[in-house]
Amino acid sequence: MDAVVLKNLSKTYPNGKKAVSGIDFSLKQGEIFGFLGPNGAGKTTTVKLLTGMLTPSEGECRVLGLNPAETPEKVHDLSGVVTEHAQMYNNMTGKQNLVFYGSVFGITKAEAEKRAGSLLEQLDLEEAGDQKLSTYSTGMRQRLSLARALIHRPRILFLDEPTSGLDPESAQNVNQLIRKLAEDKKITIFLCTHQLRYAQEICTRYGLMDQGKLLATGTLGELRQRIDSDTILEICAAHMPEGLGFQKAEEMLYENRIHRDSEIPVLVRQIVTGGGDIYSVKVRKPSLEDIYFSLTAREKEDA
Amino acid sequence: MNQKMTAVIRKDLVSITANKNLFLSLLVVPLVFTIVLPSILAAAIHFAPGDPDIQKMTDLLPTSLCSGNMELDLLGLMLNYILPVFFLIIPLMSASIMSASSFVGEKEKQTLETLLYCPLSVKQIFFAKVMASFLLSMTVSLLSFLVMLLVLEAETMFFLGKFLVPGINWLIILLLIAPSISLMAITLIVRGSAKAQSVEEAQQGAVFLVLPLILLATGQFMGVLLINVWILLGLGGICALAAVFLLKKSMGRFTYELLLK
Repeated sequence: MDAVVLKNLSKTYPNGKKAVSGIDFSLKQGEIFGFLGPNGAGKTTTVKLLTGMLTPSEGECRVLGLNPAETPEKVHDLSGVVTEHAQMYNNMTGKQNLVFYGSVFGITKAEAEKRAGSLLEQLDLEEAGDQKLSTYSTGMRQRLSLARALIHRPRILFLDEPTSGLDPESAQNVNQLIRKLAEDKKITIFLCTHQLRYAQEICTRYGLMDQGKLLATGTLGELRQRIDSDTILEICAAHMPEGLGFQKAEEMLYENRIHRDSEIPVLVRQIVTGGGDIYSVKVRKPSLEDIYFSLTAREKEDA
Repeated sequence: MNQKMTAVIRKDLVSITANKNLFLSLLVVPLVFTIVLPSILAAAIHFAPGDPDIQKMTDLLPTSLCSGNMELDLLGLMLNYILPVFFLIIPLMSASIMSASSFVGEKEKQTLETLLYCPLSVKQIFFAKVMASFLLSMTVSLLSFLVMLLVLEAETMFFLGKFLVPGINWLIILLLIAPSISLMAITLIVRGSAKAQSVEEAQQGAVFLVLPLILLATGQFMGVLLINVWILLGLGGICALAAVFLLKKSMGRFTYELLLK
């Protein structure tokens, strides 16, 4: 069974704004799916539709076989949600918050305390666990939110900008935890972010959104095939022979578009035999950012 | 009621008792209506017994309310016919303090969305919010009644050397009318809180609910309204039915989308 299925899902707000427009895709169990796009692309609306906070205007979605518009509380039982607007209680300590949310998920106090302790340790919040939430920094709050979303051991996690406000070290910790959850526990991760570089580090598959429309879905390899942009071979060399198709980008830095990796040794051999001195060879494949901009540009052209 | 809802109720009750400012304001109204007001009235009755107007009024009272001791009769009249109306303001006020912030307070602190992501339906969350305020309001009311009775009995004992007997109407008020009025008010305030954009907005709306009781209280001072126990019981029954009906209707009104608006 697919973990998440969206069929022609659309949402138009009462003010007439069409936030999500006929999107279709599905997610396998244990995938880390990066749902990407700029602010206002419809990512948060999609999460709200998937968690039953909003009802679709058209189409439907399923989370682990359940329809969130019909049985949202059953979907909540199986899912953890971290969003910027889902905060916890400032007058309680980190641990008290976790135990409270644990008990709302039907976990006994003793078990919730045990789980809270272990999550606080995993997220580097062990010492802060007994401090009131009002003393927490943005990064600490963000990590505690992740702990809160995991307290009931969900089978799917919806994360909306999970590393915003985190320092690089904490962000790395969070990434490791997310990867471990997906690999070891087969938890499906639905990760929304506008930070494409960050997504490329952690996700296994992507969905690219722009103005409520789904531009493309697929793995990085699949997405690269959808755009015309080729791989770029970057060579730092002196005495570059002419006639090989290299463009000078900077002093001693030359670039050439290639279609296949097998072209690289041929070109390198030709430079060397032509009298060039090679200092470095770098292959630059289109990043998620390149793919995104290429797809949005194409979308504009089509329009 | 399941464990999940109990957790929400407990959290709400703990957070209000932990907030000293809110808790103190919760105690002001009961203190005024259970200690200050009855004491002033008791002192007035004791120190100005010969007032001809009061004499005229006591002459109009049914014989069942007259014992021959005018001071004791007046104190009894105060306890059983004037104070109940003021007493009813207590559950209403204490309920409003907590219930006004029930939804909109969470919205302001950005904790509402988190609560909605829990495996509770909107109905269950609404019910839990109403129950938390209801339990608080009933506890404050019952404690207030006990304190009031204690203070009045002590004063009567001190002035007259006798005890006052609270009427059967107090039983109806405590067990039927106060809970019903409180439940109705809480439901209306929580409903308002779910729609409001700020705690102040919800509180301002809640204040209007006290108006009918204030009018009733003024009425009692203009000329005492003696309500028969059976009529009181009937009124209580109607209030209870109305409260349950209102709660059921209100619980079904909300969706996640409406709450997060």
